Amino acid sequence: MKNFFTFIGEVSHFGLKGLVDTFRPPFEWEFFMIQIEEIGWQSLPLILAAGLALGIVLSMHTRGTLVQFGAEAMIPTLQSASFFNELGPLVTGLLVAGRVGAGIGAGIANMRVTEQIDAIEALSVDAFKMLVVTRIVACILILPMLTLFMDFASLAGGFLSEYLVSHISLQLYLDRAFKTVEWANFIPPTLKTSVFGFIIGTVSGFFGYTTDQGSEGVQRAATNSVVLSSLLIILADVVLVKAIFFLFPRNAL
Amino acid sequence: MSDSAAVEFDHVFKAFGNRKVLDNVSFKVNAGEALCILGRSGTGKSVTLKLMIGLLKPDSGKVFIDSEDIAHSSEEDLSRVRRHMGFLFQSAALFDSFTLGDNLALPLRRLDKGKSPAEIERAVDEALERVGLNLDKAKMPAALSGGMRKRAGLARALVLHPRLLLVDEPSSGLDRITASEIDELLLKVKQEYGATLVIVTHDVRGARRVADHIAVLDQGCLIGFGTATELEKSDHEIVRRLVTES
Repeated sequence: MKNFFTFIGEVSHFGLKGLVDTFRPPFEWEFFMIQIEEIGWQSLPLILAAGLALGIVLSMHTRGTLVQFGAEAMIPTLQSASFFNELGPLVTGLLVAGRVGAGIGAGIANMRVTEQIDAIEALSVDAFKMLVVTRIVACILILPMLTLFMDFASLAGGFLSEYLVSHISLQLYLDRAFKTVEWANFIPPTLKTSVFGFIIGTVSGFFGYTTDQGSEGVQRAATNSVVLSSLLIILADVVLVKAIFFLFPRNAL
Repeated sequence: MSDSAAVEFDHVFKAFGNRKVLDNVSFKVNAGEALCILGRSGTGKSVTLKLMIGLLKPDSGKVFIDSEDIAHSSEEDLSRVRRHMGFLFQSAALFDSFTLGDNLALPLRRLDKGKSPAEIERAVDEALERVGLNLDKAKMPAALSGGMRKRAGLARALVLHPRLLLVDEPSSGLDRITASEIDELLLKVKQEYGATLVIVTHDVRGARRVADHIAVLDQGCLIGFGTATELEKSDHEIVRRLVTES
């Protein structure tokens, strides 16, 4: 139990140090831009493909149920509400935790094992800022953007599925999809993914940066990064949804 | 602290948890000389190098580099001292997401900010030429052989023209011929540039070739220090065995 609380303390300290160091010069712009490209741009195909597929699947499932009540006109509304409020942010967080979390954990751990981090520090460069802070900040900024792509890819998937069945027009589909959407139930759920990004960057950065077990440590860092990031994202989502309902009560209706 | 010493350890202790790694170690290396540190695995040789460049701090004692106690200096002072040091890591520690050229350019961009991009380019080309890798500048580290990686690591360590070069296991994982080529390069660095060398190695043949003095560590203690000829006559059996085995 003591080890558990020690671990929580260490990870929290690591993440807070990452946030504080974000505002401490010098800024590692070059390495930050590399992370934006690796975490954001290279995750985009996965996010778009997953969004499209989930949109199609959700549309197929909901149609079967709603048709029984003569409510198939609600399919676009249900689709947008589901993705904008919950599925888009959560699935994006989990997918990025899988793809990027493993990459960050294994990548930094490998640099530790092969003495690349020592080599950086031997140049009097702050390796923590260069390797960890840039990744945490990139994750925080990129997650909301990827969530937008996930949301709209899912709408495209939903439209495709509906069009094949009912030949609904794009105009009508979008009208119905956005009829009940307000900024309050679109912006907060999207921005909450910044917290997911912070979790992914911090947890995977921590496992990678603190490894000391050779090649086995690299493997363990990758696995632990994905498992703990995913678990914390799901737990944080519960708290964040409650917080959003508290701050924007209309969302809870 | 001796004026002519480029490196001096003064009663240095270092432990990791309960494991004592260096126990009251004192020695000095004069400027322009080469010291090879020999010893069995796990006797604190690499830790000694990391103390010299400030990657680790001693639990007690002093580590002087060019008369400056880096064990108790600020980050700014340490950064200034490191400007004149190069470190060849055991695994070469090339940044695997950078090309060879970018690996060499990084120290120049970070520590020699007065240099223009064209001057950096020229310095990188010169350093690669020195180790015979001028045609491999655009290659990624993964595309290099073990010997090439070591030479690339040496080029990166030399790109800032260091006064003190620290080398960790230059011949590990290399065949005898390639190891000999690395020794030649180290000798060249010492003779042509007048750099001080501290080399951690298991290769006695290479050590005898390059070193002015040899230090022998065993279980964290310095059990021998002197020329190879002096150490051959040591009363300590481990020292004699380490220095004479080939």
